[in-house]
Amino acid sequence: MAADLLELVDVEAGYGRAALVLRGLTVRVPPASVVCLVGPNGAGKSTVLKVASGLLAPRGGRIVLDGRDVTGRGPQSLLAAGLSHVLQGHSVFPEMTVGENVLLGAYTVRDKVRVAERVDFVRTLFPVVGARWDALAGALSGGQQKQVEFARSLMVSPRVVLLDEPSMGLDPKATATVFEQITRMRDAGTAVLLVEQNARRALEIADQGCVLDLGRVHLSGPAPALLTNPRLGDLYLGHPPP
Amino acid sequence: MRSGSETFVKAAGLVGLAGLVVAFPGLASDPFVLSVGVVIISYAVLATAWNFVGGFTGYISLGHAAYSGLGGYATGLLILRADVNPWVALLLGGLVVAVLAVPVGIAALRVRGASFVIVSIALVLVLLLVFQSWESVTGGSDGLRVPRPFDADVLRPEQHQRFFHLHAVLLAVMLLCWWVIDRSRFGMGLKAIREDEDKARSLGVPTVRYKLAAFVVSAFFTALGGGLYALWFGFLDPIFQFSILVGSNMVLMSLLGGVRSLFGPLVGAVVVGYATEFFKAQYGDTQMHLVAMGVLLAVVVLFLPDGIIPAVRGLLARLRPGQASIREVTQEELAAEVRR
Repeated sequence: MAADLLELVDVEAGYGRAALVLRGLTVRVPPASVVCLVGPNGAGKSTVLKVASGLLAPRGGRIVLDGRDVTGRGPQSLLAAGLSHVLQGHSVFPEMTVGENVLLGAYTVRDKVRVAERVDFVRTLFPVVGARWDALAGALSGGQQKQVEFARSLMVSPRVVLLDEPSMGLDPKATATVFEQITRMRDAGTAVLLVEQNARRALEIADQGCVLDLGRVHLSGPAPALLTNPRLGDLYLGHPPP
Repeated sequence: MRSGSETFVKAAGLVGLAGLVVAFPGLASDPFVLSVGVVIISYAVLATAWNFVGGFTGYISLGHAAYSGLGGYATGLLILRADVNPWVALLLGGLVVAVLAVPVGIAALRVRGASFVIVSIALVLVLLLVFQSWESVTGGSDGLRVPRPFDADVLRPEQHQRFFHLHAVLLAVMLLCWWVIDRSRFGMGLKAIREDEDKARSLGVPTVRYKLAAFVVSAFFTALGGGLYALWFGFLDPIFQFSILVGSNMVLMSLLGGVRSLFGPLVGAVVVGYATEFFKAQYGDTQMHLVAMGVLLAVVVLFLPDGIIPAVRGLLARLRPGQASIREVTQEELAAEVRR
């Protein structure tokens, strides 16, 4: 079995002086796989991604990317190291064209030939990108904007992509397209760490799953097994008040 | 993709505009009209210079008069105190201001939004006090007389004509720079900063360096505009040079024309400049022209929030065939759209 591409080991993190949000959390992402984090609001799912991408410095534990300790490194450094983060909500630049949005994903890449190759790659993977290249990104539907964000995240040939609630605010048809694109990213060799409220749907396409609550992993394992595990409902849906 | 006819229309428009600028001094009915033309093109220079920072990064500086004023004084003082050739003084003045803009930019660009606006205003007020009190160097409240760069036998109307064309050359250089930046990797980074600075940084755009570069370029061109105006007008008074109204006018003109358009500030300057002179002529020495300008600003905010050029572009796009919101489609086309 291949070594894990991204590892968060015993990570502790929080915002400002407030109490810890992550309390000794460990998550591992193997190459070319989808690992899904599910859990109730406030479980710390988005915080895991922020810590992994360098947007939030951990207070304890370590982060290992492809065998190298990258704990404390900033987002630009991690982006250059092959880790890309698609933020929650719509994060396109609405007043810029789809093409400009996608090219911004390769802003740190100076090699024009490589950029052109990546553009061809993402245009094939996400047909809407090619079809609406000159349109303003803000004029696209929510699902299309999400595909532009995915395309942008793949411009640096990342080995790991962090996706924060990609189906948020999308209709069922657009959600289906987004999940289909996630599996295509995995099939193209990219590892995906996915945070998603739509737990059942996310676990259906994931290889591994982790259920978080109060900053810890309470349940983890192969996604198909998690889907049938009765504790998933207990942990994710919470217990009714006495 | 841009169609051939669209490119032709744009090229023809550009040639027409250049022809009009070249021919304007000959078409002006009298020296007063010509001098109004110089004032308007001077506004266009300042607004376009402002737009390097305002249009590209979205940082709204109300204190850009600091750089036009400094450019004017630097040019005048280099001629008077160091006996430098006027044209060399103009260029040196621009460079001096660009160097001064580096530490100012490093400090001011650390804050965003309303805080940046306040910092920019503070700078112009500080400079006003300094230039009013430092009488031995700047002439204080009595002002500073700047020698004319042309010989005495060049009469006033001919001076207007020459300065109109000098401003036009400077404006053309600035527009070319703006156009080049707009299409460059640097420009794409700046526009990303304008849209969302944090997001741009997370994608690897060196936001601090880029903002500073745009700020310094803007200060340099604004200083050249101020210096050229000083050479033309021949007199500098700190009250007018370091006035917040001058900076506000740069913002108003750019917003009116469209801050994201190459020619937006130029269009805004023509409208505001002409309107100012028109209202002044209509209402004499009263302050009615300021009221009229206020009404104009309100109209812009209410009806043209993106400016004249984007509004006209949007209107033309709607009139183009196939761009209407309601259009006829065949059953096959509709089915194909639904499948997509």
